[in-house]
Amino acid sequence: MRKKLLIITASFFIAVISFAQDTTDISKMLEDELKANDQNKTVYTTAAFKTTRLIDGHSIENTAAGVLDVKISHRFGTIGGANGGVYNFFGLDNATMRLGFDYGLTHTLMIGIGRSTSLKTFDAFIKWKILRQSTGKRNMPVTVSYVPTIGIISFRDAAVYKSFSNRINFTHQLLIGRKFTEGLSLQVMPTVVHRNQPVDNGPNDVFAAGIGGRQKLSKRTSFNAEYYYQLPGSKVPGTTNVLSLGFDIETGGHVFQLHVTNSSSMTESNFITGNKGSWGKGDILFGFNISRVFNVGKKHTKEW
Amino acid sequence: MSRRFLITAAFILLLGSSFKDPVSIFNISRGNISFSSDAPLELITAGSNELKGLIETEKKQFAFSVKVRSFKGFNSGFQKDHFNENYLESDKYPDATFSGKIIEDVDFTKNNILTVRAKGILTVHGVPKERIIKSDMTIKNGSIFIKANFTVLLADHNIPIPKVVHEKLASEIKVEVNSELKIR
Repeated sequence: MRKKLLIITASFFIAVISFAQDTTDISKMLEDELKANDQNKTVYTTAAFKTTRLIDGHSIENTAAGVLDVKISHRFGTIGGANGGVYNFFGLDNATMRLGFDYGLTHTLMIGIGRSTSLKTFDAFIKWKILRQSTGKRNMPVTVSYVPTIGIISFRDAAVYKSFSNRINFTHQLLIGRKFTEGLSLQVMPTVVHRNQPVDNGPNDVFAAGIGGRQKLSKRTSFNAEYYYQLPGSKVPGTTNVLSLGFDIETGGHVFQLHVTNSSSMTESNFITGNKGSWGKGDILFGFNISRVFNVGKKHTKEW
Repeated sequence: MSRRFLITAAFILLLGSSFKDPVSIFNISRGNISFSSDAPLELITAGSNELKGLIETEKKQFAFSVKVRSFKGFNSGFQKDHFNENYLESDKYPDATFSGKIIEDVDFTKNNILTVRAKGILTVHGVPKERIIKSDMTIKNGSIFIKANFTVLLADHNIPIPKVVHEKLASEIKVEVNSELKIR
C-alpha cells in the first residue's frame, strides 16, 4: 500500500514537470532574468532639469563632460514701479545682461565664469555633484551638489568700495534635489554668502534658504519657480528676497528660459543679499536666458 | 493484480512522456546592437553591447531585449540625454524587445550557415509592431551566431521628429545586430 502511494505520487510529480516544460514562454523567461539582473545594477536618474540654471540660480544639473554651455542672459527694467511704465517701454529700455561660459570637466564636475552688467560683476564657480539620484543596486533618493561661487564687483565708485576686499563676495551652496516623477523635480538650496567687508549694514555672513522646482508642461517645455529666503537673523537691511517664475523651452541644442523676477542681478552674492526690487511695488522685470551647448571635448570613438 | 498492472503502466507512460526531446535553450553570451541615423546634416551612431536574448530550439521561439539607456556613442552627451528623455522616453519605456518564432525549420545540432526569417513583435518606445526580420544564422560547434540588418521607421513607433531637427534626424533608422548564443 505504501509503495503504491509512493509510485502514484512520483508519477504525478513527473507529469507536472513534463507539463511545465511544454509551456516554456521564452520572452517571459527573459523578462524575469533581466528583472533579476536589474537589481544588481545602478541606474542614475537624468534630466531633472532642462539646464544648469533654474532661473537666476543653479539647478542640480551639470553640463555633460566635454560640453561647453554658452549662456546669454538678459534682464530688462521693471515693468511697473517707479522705473517702469509706458515711459520706460515697460522696462525694455533698461536691459542688463550676463554672459557666461559653463564647461563640464567630468560628469560630476563643472566650472563656469561670467560677467554681469549689474555692478559690473565678474563671477566664477565650481559645481561638484557629491551624490547622484539613482535606483537599483545603489538606491539614492536625492542628488546633492556643492557650488562655491566667487563674485567680484568691478563697478567704479571709490566712495563705496574703499578697498578690493569690499568687492569680493563668496557664496557656498548645497543643492539638494530630487526628480520625483518624469515631470516634477524639486530642490532646496541652503546657502551662505560670505562678504569680507560688506558695504551695506548687513552681517559678514548671510544665511539663506532657497527652494525651487519645475513641472514639465510638455516634453520640451516646463514651468519653473525659484525663491531665495534670507534667514531673519542675518538678513541685509533694506533688501528683498528674490522670487522668480518662468518657462523653459528646449529645442535641440538650445534651451530658452523666459521668466519674470524681481531681481536684475544674476550673480548669487548680488541677488541673494543685494536685491532691492519688490513684487508688491511692481518691480517685476521680464528676462530670458539662452543656453547653447557646444561639444568641444574629443569626439566619441566607437565604444560599444 | 490488474490494478498493480494499471498503475505500473500509467507510471511508465508518464515517465516516457517526460523523457521526450529535452528543450534546449540558447543564451546570448556576446550581444551587440547598434543603430545609425543618416540625415542630410548629421550622422548619429550609437550602440550597446548589453543585448540579451534567448532561443528555444523545440518551438524555435526567440526573445531579444536591450536596455535603451545602455546605448552609448552619439555625437555629444546632451544628444544622448535628448535621445533618452525626448525621443525614446527611456524612463517610461526602458526596454526595446523583439520576440517571436523562427519561420524556417532549423536543426540546431548540425553545423550550418543559413538565412532565416524571424517573425515576431518588435517593441520600441512602448509601441509593438509585427515584423519579419531576415537574419544570417551560423551554427558552429554548438554556438549560434546571428547577424541581422534591418530598419526601424520612427513613425511606426510613435516617435515624432520635431521640425527644427528635421534635417538632422533620419526618419528611417538603420539597425545592426551581432550576437553569439551558447547553450545553457
